[in-house]
Amino acid sequence: MLKTMLRAGVTAAALLTAGSALADVTVYTAGPASLIEKLAAGFTEETGVKVEFFQATTGKVMARIEAEASNPVVDVLISASWDTATDFAERGWLVPYTSPNAATVPDFLKTETAVAQGVAALAIAWNPASGTPKPAEWADLAKPEYKDLVNLPDPAQSGSAFELVSALSADGMGLFESLAANGAIVAGANAEALNPVLQGAKAAVFGAVDYISLNGKAKGESIEVIFPETGTVIAPRPVMILNWSKNQDDAKKFVDYVLSDAGQAIVAGTSLMPARADVTADRPLIADLKILPVDAEAVYGKRAETLEAFSKVFAK
Amino acid sequence: MARAREAVSPSVVIAAAGLVVVVAVPFLFILLQAVFPHLGRGSLAAPFSALAGALGDPKLIGMTGNTLLLGLLVVVLSALIAVPLAVARALFRVPGAVIWDVLFLIPFMIPPYIAVLGWIMTLQPRGYLEQLAGFDLAAFLFSVPGIVFVMTLNTFPVVYFAVSRTVETVGSRYADVARVFGASPLRAFWRVTLPLSTPGLAASLLLVFAMSIEEYGTPAALGRRAGFDVLVTAIDLRVSDWPIDLPGAAILSLVLVILSFGAFLLQRWILTRRSYEATTGKPQDAAKRDLGVWKFPVLALFAAVAVAATGLPLLAILATALSRTISGGLTLANLDLSNFSAILGDTTGALKALGTSLSLGVAAALVTGLLGALSAYAVVKSKVRGRGVLDVLTILPNALPGIVVAVGLILAWNQPWLPVTPYNTALILLLAYCCILLPQPVRYATAAFHQIGDNLEAAARVFGASPLVAFRRILLPLIAPSLLAAMLLVFAVATRELVASVVVAPVGVSTISTYIWRQFEQGSVGLGMAMAFITILITTALPLIVLSLMGRRGNLL
Repeated sequence: MLKTMLRAGVTAAALLTAGSALADVTVYTAGPASLIEKLAAGFTEETGVKVEFFQATTGKVMARIEAEASNPVVDVLISASWDTATDFAERGWLVPYTSPNAATVPDFLKTETAVAQGVAALAIAWNPASGTPKPAEWADLAKPEYKDLVNLPDPAQSGSAFELVSALSADGMGLFESLAANGAIVAGANAEALNPVLQGAKAAVFGAVDYISLNGKAKGESIEVIFPETGTVIAPRPVMILNWSKNQDDAKKFVDYVLSDAGQAIVAGTSLMPARADVTADRPLIADLKILPVDAEAVYGKRAETLEAFSKVFAK
Repeated sequence: MARAREAVSPSVVIAAAGLVVVVAVPFLFILLQAVFPHLGRGSLAAPFSALAGALGDPKLIGMTGNTLLLGLLVVVLSALIAVPLAVARALFRVPGAVIWDVLFLIPFMIPPYIAVLGWIMTLQPRGYLEQLAGFDLAAFLFSVPGIVFVMTLNTFPVVYFAVSRTVETVGSRYADVARVFGASPLRAFWRVTLPLSTPGLAASLLLVFAMSIEEYGTPAALGRRAGFDVLVTAIDLRVSDWPIDLPGAAILSLVLVILSFGAFLLQRWILTRRSYEATTGKPQDAAKRDLGVWKFPVLALFAAVAVAATGLPLLAILATALSRTISGGLTLANLDLSNFSAILGDTTGALKALGTSLSLGVAAALVTGLLGALSAYAVVKSKVRGRGVLDVLTILPNALPGIVVAVGLILAWNQPWLPVTPYNTALILLLAYCCILLPQPVRYATAAFHQIGDNLEAAARVFGASPLVAFRRILLPLIAPSLLAAMLLVFAVATRELVASVVVAPVGVSTISTYIWRQFEQGSVGLGMAMAFITILITTALPLIVLSLMGRRGNLL
């Protein structure tokens, strides 16, 4: 029995090690998974260069990069939070590169070392079957019709939710105090906040990431995405090339592909807004939305205080 | 001379080497990370500078208290549910015993993050319960009793299987002796059978305690709304919130390890106070008693637990998997097989993920089974010096959150000077699973070894068997039932492990759990649930097939 077990163990181990050679370009990305799958396949088809990717939440991707820092393997990083691009640039970890395809990307979506792949916006995700009136404004969700029926994504876990909280609390936490008094709760990361709304346990998400809800709607879920007229915040998803990459030429080709017509069409296909202003998509685009000004430096400088004040408002 | 050879018995050497690779190396790097905050960048600058920040967190005491409370409550409730069932199963002829075993095995096959999502979708307002029965239990679910309830349903099988196996080994023979000397049946049970079964009970309760203080999914999904923060959720936040605080996470993990270590010392103290040898080589009457008038009450108890722990979660998973949309609810028009056909049609890479996880599960079960049996032997039966250290190594991973094990493994195996490394191959997942799950086979095998008299091995040695032959021919078969049960648990958990897999999975490799998790992240809850359902079927069926092929029908596990 001992021998059989040993033999089986060794065979299994041998099987497992096979077929995991590193690819030409290694991409770490914050998702969605279907987006990077299609981009990788399209890129390989066009250039013959193989792409391997690791996909997780922005936080988990960063944890992996941090733990790997003494011997990193990632060539290209796609984050869901622009904050990452700023921080990595300050650390001097990024390669300056301006893709020829980035010419029509608006200036606020690119820097010397990073360029947006696509853009998400935050919105109210509302279930029309919830028996509540259709909300139009952030403040509507503090009305008695929505008592105990509103979810907020946790700003400590979602960079975009944090920016929304910062933008809407510029003049104090008043809005959030009335939401909390109305029984709104903070419900984990983005997907966690949306599910109860789909089933009807809650009526709306205050600050849902729009593309997930838009995809749900396309699949037939009873969900509507509402962009308040007073404005919202956007979450551009930066693509960066790491300076330790040994495949920088292929990495640059990958960035070119993401910003090419084909690449941007794939981005639009996942209901994200394409980064290039000349690529259209079947959804409201940046030009259609009112974007609230967010002074990233000031806002992130006060991050701990804002989160503290926010969690105090929602502490029972 | 013979004694000197015994001290370096090959089984002990293999156990020690295996434990060093699987447990000591990642743990050492977690320790180093706690001390040297910049370890990830290969620098040993500013030692101990992160300690004050992490331990000075004003919420630390509250979170530690919550963690302890949660662990204790889950242990107590698991024992209350599992021990009566296990004793009935071990000593009496319970009708349909094998079926109950299978039904109690399934909760272990349901990934905790899936089970809790199933409960949320059932009990929240407008959930499945309200759609069918008109009321919801959200207030109960999102509370500390709700968390304990959900976690207990996931962990009580550990106690059930361990206690029913040990009580069965003790048998009724010793209690019969007590009866001959005039003890009442109840007294004989309390004074003889139950005390003799202490190893299995203590070992499984220790496992439950460690599992529940380390479990992430349930407290994260339910606890935040109840305002109930535990250490694991704080650790996860440090690892996922930019800027990443690896040293802080490592330090808080060490607090968890200390808690678990305290429980371990308590269990060891209980086990070493006296001898629990019940397998002496004498023939044993395996006949079980009739339940008599208790037949129906006992059956009702079995059925109630099976419905709560297996039936309801499975139905919730199935209902979600069959729903075209979540908002469509439980109506006939909304039900179809599109999620299942998407998986079987493999348009989403599901089958590859299934294959990866199933082979990793089998490999992890074999490696931890072998290593667990050898380590338990080294600790209980050998007289090697330093075996206490081995015992400590086998319990360490129990309290380490999966995410921290993952970070430790990356730090250890991604060093630039290593000529070859398992990192970025599927082997790193195998190492992670072995590290996290090793305590299971070790605890089960240790409990089994405690019940085996030393004279059996001695007899084999007298008749000329080498230490390895004696181990293989005498001891291994005797602990095989317990060990197999533990290996099945390892297989089940390794196939669906999420927290470490998400961080440590090699580029381009997805496992069952990372596949499911990605579906959830994209809002495809139905697709994720369909995958979960298929996984539960496979991970339940595969061990059953293996066992029946091995001719152990009727004596499952």
